[in-house]
Amino acid sequence: MGNVLVITEHMKGEFQDISFEMLGQARKLSAGGSCCALVYGSMKDRSSELGAADRVLCVGGSDDFNPETYASAALQIIQSESPDLVLVGSTSMGIDLAPVLGVSLDLPVISYCSCIETSGDNFEFTSQLYSGKMDVKSTAPKAVAMVLAGSFSAEDGKSGGSASVENVTADFGAGRVQFKELIEPEAAEVDITQSDILVAVGRGIGGKDDIEVAQELAKNLNADLACSRPVVDAGWLPKSCQVGKSGLKVNPKVYIALGISGAPEHLEGMKDVSTIIAINTDKNAPIFDVAHYGMTEDLFDICEELEDSLS
Amino acid sequence: MLQIVFEGEEKHFYANKLDKVHMKVAVLLKQVPDLAEELEVDESGKALDTEYIKFRLNEYDEHALEEAVCLKESGQAAEIVAFALDGEEVDKALFSAMAKGADKAVKLTGTEVEGSRQAAALFAETLGMDYDLIMTGVQSVDDRDGMMGPMLSSMLKVPCVSVVTRVEGKGSSVTVHKEYFGGLMAAFDVQLPAVLGIQAARQTPRYAPVSKVRQVQQSAVIEEKSASGVSGSATSKVTTMAPPTKTGGAKILGSVDELMELLKEKGVA
Amino acid sequence: MLSSTEQIAFVLLVLVCGGLAFQGFRRIFVIVSQGKPSYRTDEFLSRLIKALIEVGLQKPLFKSRPIVSLFHAFIFFGFSFYLLVNFNDLLEAYVSGWTTIDSSHPVALGFNLFSDLFSILVLIGIIYFLIRRFIGKPRVFEFNRNVKLQTKVVGGGIRRDSLIVGIFIILHVGSRWLGTAFHLAERETTEWSLPTASLVAPLFFGWSDLETGIHVTWWLAMGLIVLFLPYFPRSKHIHIFLAPLNLAFTNREANGKLMEPVDSSKPGASTLDELPWKQVLDSYACIMCTRCHEVCPAHESGTPLSPSALEINKRYFINQNSSDLAGGKLKLDLLQEAISSDAVWSCTTCMACVEVCPVGNEPMQDILQIRRKLVFDANMPDELSDALRSLDEQGNSFGESSRKRTRWTRDLDFPIKDASKETVEYLWYVGDFASFNQNCTEKTRKFAEVLTTAGVDFGILMKDEKSAGNDARRVGEEGLFDALAEDNIQTLENCDFKHILTTDPHTYNTLLNEYPSKGGVYSVKHYSTLLMELIHSGKIKITKPLKIKGTYHDPCYLGRYNGIFDAPREVMRQCGVELLEMSRNRTNSFCCGAGGGQVWKKEHEDMKQRPSENRIEEALLTGANYFTVACPKDMTMYSDAVKTSGNEKNMTVRDLVDYVAEAMELEKLTNEETYESVPESSKVENNASEFQE
Repeated sequence: MGNVLVITEHMKGEFQDISFEMLGQARKLSAGGSCCALVYGSMKDRSSELGAADRVLCVGGSDDFNPETYASAALQIIQSESPDLVLVGSTSMGIDLAPVLGVSLDLPVISYCSCIETSGDNFEFTSQLYSGKMDVKSTAPKAVAMVLAGSFSAEDGKSGGSASVENVTADFGAGRVQFKELIEPEAAEVDITQSDILVAVGRGIGGKDDIEVAQELAKNLNADLACSRPVVDAGWLPKSCQVGKSGLKVNPKVYIALGISGAPEHLEGMKDVSTIIAINTDKNAPIFDVAHYGMTEDLFDICEELEDSLS
Repeated sequence: MLQIVFEGEEKHFYANKLDKVHMKVAVLLKQVPDLAEELEVDESGKALDTEYIKFRLNEYDEHALEEAVCLKESGQAAEIVAFALDGEEVDKALFSAMAKGADKAVKLTGTEVEGSRQAAALFAETLGMDYDLIMTGVQSVDDRDGMMGPMLSSMLKVPCVSVVTRVEGKGSSVTVHKEYFGGLMAAFDVQLPAVLGIQAARQTPRYAPVSKVRQVQQSAVIEEKSASGVSGSATSKVTTMAPPTKTGGAKILGSVDELMELLKEKGVA
Repeated sequence: MLSSTEQIAFVLLVLVCGGLAFQGFRRIFVIVSQGKPSYRTDEFLSRLIKALIEVGLQKPLFKSRPIVSLFHAFIFFGFSFYLLVNFNDLLEAYVSGWTTIDSSHPVALGFNLFSDLFSILVLIGIIYFLIRRFIGKPRVFEFNRNVKLQTKVVGGGIRRDSLIVGIFIILHVGSRWLGTAFHLAERETTEWSLPTASLVAPLFFGWSDLETGIHVTWWLAMGLIVLFLPYFPRSKHIHIFLAPLNLAFTNREANGKLMEPVDSSKPGASTLDELPWKQVLDSYACIMCTRCHEVCPAHESGTPLSPSALEINKRYFINQNSSDLAGGKLKLDLLQEAISSDAVWSCTTCMACVEVCPVGNEPMQDILQIRRKLVFDANMPDELSDALRSLDEQGNSFGESSRKRTRWTRDLDFPIKDASKETVEYLWYVGDFASFNQNCTEKTRKFAEVLTTAGVDFGILMKDEKSAGNDARRVGEEGLFDALAEDNIQTLENCDFKHILTTDPHTYNTLLNEYPSKGGVYSVKHYSTLLMELIHSGKIKITKPLKIKGTYHDPCYLGRYNGIFDAPREVMRQCGVELLEMSRNRTNSFCCGAGGGQVWKKEHEDMKQRPSENRIEEALLTGANYFTVACPKDMTMYSDAVKTSGNEKNMTVRDLVDYVAEAMELEKLTNEETYESVPESSKVENNASEFQE
């Protein structure tokens, strides 16, 4: 119970889901206190979407995600608002904001939060460390928390109410960081965020030539091909196929994961899919925690048998 | 109006001749538990049992070092100094850094460092304003109390850009690419001195041949500096550490036939 | 017989050509001496004598291509005899009245007979070779399209050289033989001691120009030799001098013992003069016969590596730039002129090229030296550096925590002694693949059971065991090998054992041959030898002979490298397996393709057929249904190959231990043995990055 301030994130004129997820939880955590949302640039025109907050503070400035200007503006607002808890997304934008705010405000920073609750006068945080191998719980009366995408429900943050919208002025800092341009990725052949069925491959596929096996399967199932980050890093598939934190968030009806271990960064992109089928010879792989169905046989054997059955 | 450029077009970041620049670069390194190990919690229930596990260089710090060495090789950095906090097998990491191309290596001794915030304070004290560019990994697997790079930048009151994949020196500033999601990136010009949190170097971090590292061990010396690193009172209290509870897990199918049934049921096959 | 003018002219010719030739040979000496030390000059006399005997018996040639080697033997013996013949011809030219033609002295008669027969044999031989090269055009003379070749080679340099040499020999020997016929015709006689010349001589009885004919044929025969002298330094024909010399300098230490770097602060070679001088001499001894790339698994499978091209390229570049090279004004950049880096990284270090070379060349050594330099400059495929990093950090190439090394022991229901704490007779050095690879751990467990049942006192090093480092060294990482060897020797120092036992030939090789120079001298035994001993001594009782048809694959590091061929075969025989041999067996065994770091790398995109699949096809030809291996990497490679080549119903891969376990009716043996498929990849999985996504 206390005042919570959420720093919203946007991209190309849309609020990112993480903003709603944080807002929904902030609402709950601030029960009794106030819950505000900080909005940058032209997103002030979309403030009505942030009904879950009590107040929306519009800082103005440009839309260019400048780490310096964003941090500087946020700092001033937070100094004047003095919330007990500041929520920032554990994202590319958040990494440049939250730690800086923590130091400037002399507040502890909590990284990789998957869960936040109140516990007496304190907030209790659960952080995922060691690539998801350990959950660490910590407490603090006040903090800046970095929230992992998908930890809370975006729906909760989109629910009604209307917030009062205030324009606030802020100093955007010394101008030592200048935005130059946004660089789009190469146009993708397939937009996997629109796919109904995805066949995704991970390191377990072995090599570029072996992807053919998955491609065949995808073709027979009328599905699109996707993958985890190591596959893109190795150059076996283009970035447009990457599912995960630094890739894309997908929402097909069925997601078939072949040889994917299930590191948190990948799960971020697909764990809410309604049917997840995981195939991995390591029965302890984290993917089996989010998958609905699984098999531990060799993926090549399974694909071969599936081929036979499908044709 | 944002100027959007398509990467597919021939807009090479490193096109034409790169400016010869003479930045003095500090690379900040940290050893972290090797995730190949099976991790266990120690008796206190709040921390990792480190007795039997091996440590290795934080993967992102490796990228930071690689990018720094690439800057030097392309004539944009005049000197690279690798820093690391004292810890498990840190000497080997520092000698490796020199074998890869760092000019000097410094180990910070004297204090038990708990957490990245304290680490940032130690580095702030040691580095001061001596360096044009400070590069470090964007994050690490154990930075529970915040990312070290941005915190350091705040303490030094210099700008910081994280999740950086490309760096080009431009005299008194650098141009960097910051990565978002789905391949989207933004280019920023950052005035020096500055801190960069590196996500990926321009090429895979090079291997440090053992014989070269050994040569370096014979010929070079790791400087030691002691620092006290008072970091302020802002801490959170760890209450427990435990492996995540398995949330229920998948239903394991016995045969491909069952899988076919399932696929048909879902309207896929 | 020659006029004084002719005599003087000939002497002048000898002086001029001799002088030119001497210059050429001297330059060769200079260029070879530019190379680094080779440590092979000890006991030079005994080396030379041994080499001369080998050459005299033509043994090195008959290691392959028996028919071709036979024809070469004709030429060799013929030409060797011709030294005497040419000496005789000089006497004829300068000593008036000297001739052997109408002498009845037994020595002269013998000389006549041999010179006549050998002339014909040489001619037959050389004509065979010319037909073979120019009309037959054997496939083995072709290089894969992706092999780096010097321009002049592509332009037909070797063919031109062969043609020149062929024509020279035909003219030299032919005209000498014809001259003999003329001598006979002059006397209007035939001699039984000159059978073939006598056949032709009557054609020339009464010919008015006989005298001219005799002089002309003399000059053609002798003059051509002298004229040919300066050509030697530019031709592969120089092998007649340099091959015996090169054979004298072959490695006399264990095959499996690599040369230490001369200067460990600058290991390896990037230019010709940074190679040991023996490697420079190799390029001169090379007869460009391509026997080496015929047996090379990398070349056979379509990758850009041809050991033959390597030597040929070196030679051609040297030929074209000899004066600059000798003068130190130019260096031969190996990766630019002789071999591509793709090719360097395709080598499996199987040593087949070294084994088969008739002139004692060692192309594999060049490759290893180049690798050392590349690794020192951190210039290698990423997957290799991942494997090396894993070896460095965790002591195994699998990216697994060293604590997981003993996981394979979990399913055993008897304890295994910890050799680092207890005294044992056999310290079983398990090795990476046998410990971590899912295909192999089943065999490892079985072997543990066999050993226990047989009452062998053994133990393992548990998690302190690190990779012995054989393949790290073959990839070129000397420093890593040193580090691993030091650690392992330290660990072994604190143990009390009589012998080291291992199932892995790579481990066997380095522990036996290379650890002594690092300070670790041990009695090392391969499990095939131990199994044989246990069966012979009755500790293992074969109660149920298997009655199956099996073929045996000689692992490179066990067979060709270390000469162990019979123990595994004996084990198979004792178990009742009918042994059907493949044609490429024993020292000619064909590599599975995993060595030299290949098992850690991606396959080359040009690879047409994996060496292991090629081998399975060969095995099928024997009529056997069981493919027997005695090496964990072979187990993995061939299990995979049987599947990928679609031969699961025709060929089953079995380890020696499978036969023994079944034949001794070991308890808990499952009846239906299935082989798990190669999980995800038989190659190494990366470490922490695995957990990124």
